[in-house]
Amino acid sequence: MSDIFDAQLVGAALRQATPLILAALGGLMSERVGVINIGLEGKILMGAFAAALGALLTGSPLVGLACAMGVGVTLALLHAVATQEWRTDHIVSGVAINLLALGLSTYLFRQIIVPREEAGETSVVTMFAPVSLGGLENLPIFNALLKDQSWFTLFALVLPFMLLTLLTRTRWGLQVYAVGNDSVKARTMGVPVKRLRYLGVLWSGVFAGMAGAFLVLAATGQFRENMSAGRGFIALAALIFGRWHPLGAAGAALGFGFFEALQMRLQGQPVFGVQLPTDLLLMLPYLLTVIALMGLLGKMKPPSDLGN
Amino acid sequence: MFRTRVLPALLGAIIVLAALTLLIAATGKPLGESFQIILQGATGYPRTDAFGPVDAWDSVLHDMTLLLLTGLAVAIALQAGLFNIGAAGQLLMGAIAAAWIGTLTGVPERLHLPLALLVGAAAGALWAFAPVWLKVRRGAHEVISTIMFNYIALYLTHWLVTERLKDPAGDAPQTAVIADAARLPLLREDFLQASWGLGIAILTALGLWLVLYRTVWGYETRATGANRDAADAAGAPTARRMVEAMLLSGGLAGLAGAIEVCGSQYRFFEGFPSEYGFDGIAVALLAGNHPAVAVVSAWLMSALRSGAYHLHAETGAPKEIAVVAQAVLILYVAAVYLRKRRVEG
Repeated sequence: MSDIFDAQLVGAALRQATPLILAALGGLMSERVGVINIGLEGKILMGAFAAALGALLTGSPLVGLACAMGVGVTLALLHAVATQEWRTDHIVSGVAINLLALGLSTYLFRQIIVPREEAGETSVVTMFAPVSLGGLENLPIFNALLKDQSWFTLFALVLPFMLLTLLTRTRWGLQVYAVGNDSVKARTMGVPVKRLRYLGVLWSGVFAGMAGAFLVLAATGQFRENMSAGRGFIALAALIFGRWHPLGAAGAALGFGFFEALQMRLQGQPVFGVQLPTDLLLMLPYLLTVIALMGLLGKMKPPSDLGN
Repeated sequence: MFRTRVLPALLGAIIVLAALTLLIAATGKPLGESFQIILQGATGYPRTDAFGPVDAWDSVLHDMTLLLLTGLAVAIALQAGLFNIGAAGQLLMGAIAAAWIGTLTGVPERLHLPLALLVGAAAGALWAFAPVWLKVRRGAHEVISTIMFNYIALYLTHWLVTERLKDPAGDAPQTAVIADAARLPLLREDFLQASWGLGIAILTALGLWLVLYRTVWGYETRATGANRDAADAAGAPTARRMVEAMLLSGGLAGLAGAIEVCGSQYRFFEGFPSEYGFDGIAVALLAGNHPAVAVVSAWLMSALRSGAYHLHAETGAPKEIAVVAQAVLILYVAAVYLRKRRVEG
């Protein structure tokens, strides 16, 4: 057992959880202002592509990150305009955005990056260097957990607390709460409902785009077709499992990241002499979310004005 | 009539064509020739020695069978006010169940095909039950739970096909080939994939049309979807109708998977195509959730798909132009036809 559960596994879990936390906290802001956001997956995917393209063309991961966040925001803007101005159903708009991102990223990948590969040029980008922790690296636990982690991961660990403070300790956070729970009353009280809804949705684009950037600029170094591989939906599950609370969502994302890391570690290895099917581990986040939805883990209460 | 119906439809067609034009132009391939190839892939004309109507219609009618059934699945749920985006998972469950029945030995020959299709539909319905139960009993949003069940189905079928139902004769993660008696005949001898499943799909569409618009059950179901509170107040058993509509929806998606196994693939395998489940959303939206109109919209989407695939095969242009065009179409239809009534000022 000890060779399966060690600090390295936890380090890998943190890496797996990073894009999940970022996207889940992005989606959280969108849902907190009442806009259902199943388009996280598309924003991650398109963000990953933009990150790869930006970094490939300029050689700078910072430009790649900016492109990823820009593209995430653009897709989010489309969702905001569709749901707020055109009054489109939130689910339909989300489905369309996921399809658009899948189609466009694959199309552009084959048009721009594949020909470069065929011409013998590299499609591997310059990645962000791992963060050096200075003196902390000498402490055994920090060393094992945070060694070779990117700044994305450290940021993802701090972000939930920042978001919690923002939501519960500021006037703005209270307004968000009001919009998500009863937009009509909020408007009567003079809260700028539409502006907050736009902000919340755009916020989801920033962080889902950043999650996509992580995949390319910190994890793998290159874009691959459909590389988001369902992470947007796991993030959505984490957000619900965490009951629309920043710490809950981040905690759930960490847990789901741990299952993924464990699954990769376990490939073929027996635990206590039993061969665990890896499919079961991969299924676990979704299964747990369904169990949570059943109300077995306490009452679920989404923002009451969600979807209107 | 012209301003409310014809004009928006024309505008939609123009927008989708514009998107296609832009995407093709960006590949640097000649536009006129490209559209001709798309048309050839969709209809078979202009025909060449290598590719004719038989090839085109084989592909179009095959896709149309699946898109019509998944489109009907999405439509019937939406008529009851439920958004079933779990058709992909229900399709997978139906497909693997049909493959399991199809590979059983000792089933009477006459019963083998109907049994495979029925069990496939039942597996799909079963997969839709939990989400609708959670909706009716716990108020959990069906979209979230159907997404979860899509992934659970993905990993469950993957586990089944690699561990439990794998063809013992080989190493590949796939089931054995189903028995001859469990196969749906092809529509024509020179077809490769379009089977009489299309007939089942079209009959189902017409049947649903009658049921939805000519029976009390259909009326109550539509009333539930239009305004559940009002339907409740009028005494309709809305929770019941929602559960029934969702079971029907899952059953249709499961049937699509079963028909793909019994009519075209003859086995279940790792990576079984389930994206038809999502394409069904476009089919249903385009048809305004009307089962009979869905026959036309399923044909249109299949023609677009087959055209784009043919363009890909002939010129190497990415076939994803069909996916992008479909996304544009969904957004357009949703924005123009499906606007929510504004409730607040």
